[in-house]
Amino acid sequence: MSPATQGILVFIVTVAVFLTGAPVAFALGAVGIAFLVIFQGPAALHVAAETLYSGLHDFTLVSIPMFIMMGAAIGSSPAGRDLYIALDRWLYRVPGGLVVSNLGACAIFAALTGSSPATCAAIGKMGIPEMRKRGYPDEVATGSICAGGTLGILIPPSITLILYGIATETSIGRLFLAGVLPGLLLTALFMGWTVFYIWKSGFRAYAEGFRYSWKEKFASIPKVAPFLVIVIAVMYVLYGGIATPSEAAGVGAAFCVLFAVLIYRMWNPMQWWDILRSTTRESVMILMIIATAVLFGYMLTSLYITQTLAEAIAALNVNKWVLMGLINLFLLVCGCFIPPAGIILMTAPILLPIITAAGFDPIWFGVIMTINMEIGLITPPVGLNLFVVNAIAPDVPTRTVLWGSVPYVGMMVLCIVILCIFPEIVTWLPDYLMGPVVK
Amino acid sequence: MELFTRIVRWLSVTFGLIAAGLTAAGVVVVCQMVFVRYVLNQTTIWQTDFVTFSLVAATFLGSPYVLLTKGHVNVDVLPIYAGPRARWWLAFFAVSISLAFVAVMAWLTFSFWLEAYENNWRSDSMWRARLWIPYMAMPVGLGILTLQYIVDFLDLVTGREPPFGITGEGPAVSIKETGI
Repeated sequence: MSPATQGILVFIVTVAVFLTGAPVAFALGAVGIAFLVIFQGPAALHVAAETLYSGLHDFTLVSIPMFIMMGAAIGSSPAGRDLYIALDRWLYRVPGGLVVSNLGACAIFAALTGSSPATCAAIGKMGIPEMRKRGYPDEVATGSICAGGTLGILIPPSITLILYGIATETSIGRLFLAGVLPGLLLTALFMGWTVFYIWKSGFRAYAEGFRYSWKEKFASIPKVAPFLVIVIAVMYVLYGGIATPSEAAGVGAAFCVLFAVLIYRMWNPMQWWDILRSTTRESVMILMIIATAVLFGYMLTSLYITQTLAEAIAALNVNKWVLMGLINLFLLVCGCFIPPAGIILMTAPILLPIITAAGFDPIWFGVIMTINMEIGLITPPVGLNLFVVNAIAPDVPTRTVLWGSVPYVGMMVLCIVILCIFPEIVTWLPDYLMGPVVK
Repeated sequence: MELFTRIVRWLSVTFGLIAAGLTAAGVVVVCQMVFVRYVLNQTTIWQTDFVTFSLVAATFLGSPYVLLTKGHVNVDVLPIYAGPRARWWLAFFAVSISLAFVAVMAWLTFSFWLEAYENNWRSDSMWRARLWIPYMAMPVGLGILTLQYIVDFLDLVTGREPPFGITGEGPAVSIKETGI
């Protein structure tokens, strides 16, 4: 059987096994070893254990549990509430100020936790009822939080970008910096659309009759500021080349836990266990996918499928932007069904040679891929953020939440288009701060 | 069967706690390493290996607990929208495929561990750690994971647990603690 036919067969079987609902990690591993045995015989399994282990034996991967712990420490404290209150008190007089402050809070909380559902839950619990109380339309209240939550995987530190960095062997520090300006651009697009929509529907600033005092405005800042300082410090030591991502994340995690305990008086050991438990659950889940994705990748390479696919696409000789459009479409479809970790670890090593051969920057593509993954978080059938928002506001029909999210999907697509036209938005900051990539 | 289920659940929870302990130890050692390297300006010997080994071990040893608490992320489109009968069959295939994989890997990693033990393999680093110690986490973790999958399989075929833990209708039941 030719590698191309084998590739098609692998694709069909992988999709079929995924659809049974088997965990992504074990589905990838099962398909990987099954095809190795079928096409290379049982002797091929001799290296399976070593491959599984080597997939995880990398000090860079240590950064994943550390960043997850940073997020878990902040997410389990009431920092989200304080952040929300602080921004609302500063922006309440701006037309549509509440929704703008919600999106701002989402962006900052996303940077702190790196988690989309956690951001949705933390800011949404406060933001959605408050927006509805102040008369904002349901679709704006729910859609903006769904979209705001997705910023978690783009604005650094982002687990998604770490996974991409590991899968493609690109610099994680560079990827983090590359995510900053697109993250801000996307936040601005979300805010711009929301203010425009609210203004168009005739809704004006509600906060006409009251004012917050300066004392009230400053009251929440001291509680949130230390966490922001930690994230900025982690980024500084990372791009400054002072420490490796794992070292920076480890110290950042320790400080976040310490500050969460001290600032919010989390003295109960059960609260510490909650942080450790959610860190362990999430990092085990992701690391297991990484281990089996390496096994899956080994199968693809030893059956010569990856190379054949790359050669076949290169032989198509299509315009590079048509190619990019097709890849985006493929990623969008995948994103609607498969969790970001699975997609990145499965497809990034295959797509990278195709992307670089077409003349695209791998760092730039990492950001484009991440925005594609963000879209998957708010599109049915498995848009995780939709379910989180649905749980926060069960009386808002799912249809309203969905329709509320659609314009933000449009904004993300617009962001991808802008980044395609002006790739410097992605590459300028890492090039400026870390110097251009030596090729 | 009740006793078997309870023993396996106890094992999964116990090793989940060990995995959490290893993760916490990883954070502490990274901080110590940063202190030694950047504050004391001394070289580090065992820290990089220890942290990597402990997190690899945490992944394998913690995996049965994550399965027990339904934390391994999956593509649950069909299970959510399928009818009860189709959902049961999907769960049957999902558990069978996963069980077969983890059982095979448990055996393969055991052979790998045995080879490392018999040949006294050491790490390439200055620490020269005995590799059979970190490698042991793989057969142990995957072995317990196999047992946990056997429990899940028995729970499914005897009707003790609904397929995918879905009892209600609608997608809200599928929310998991997934960070990305």
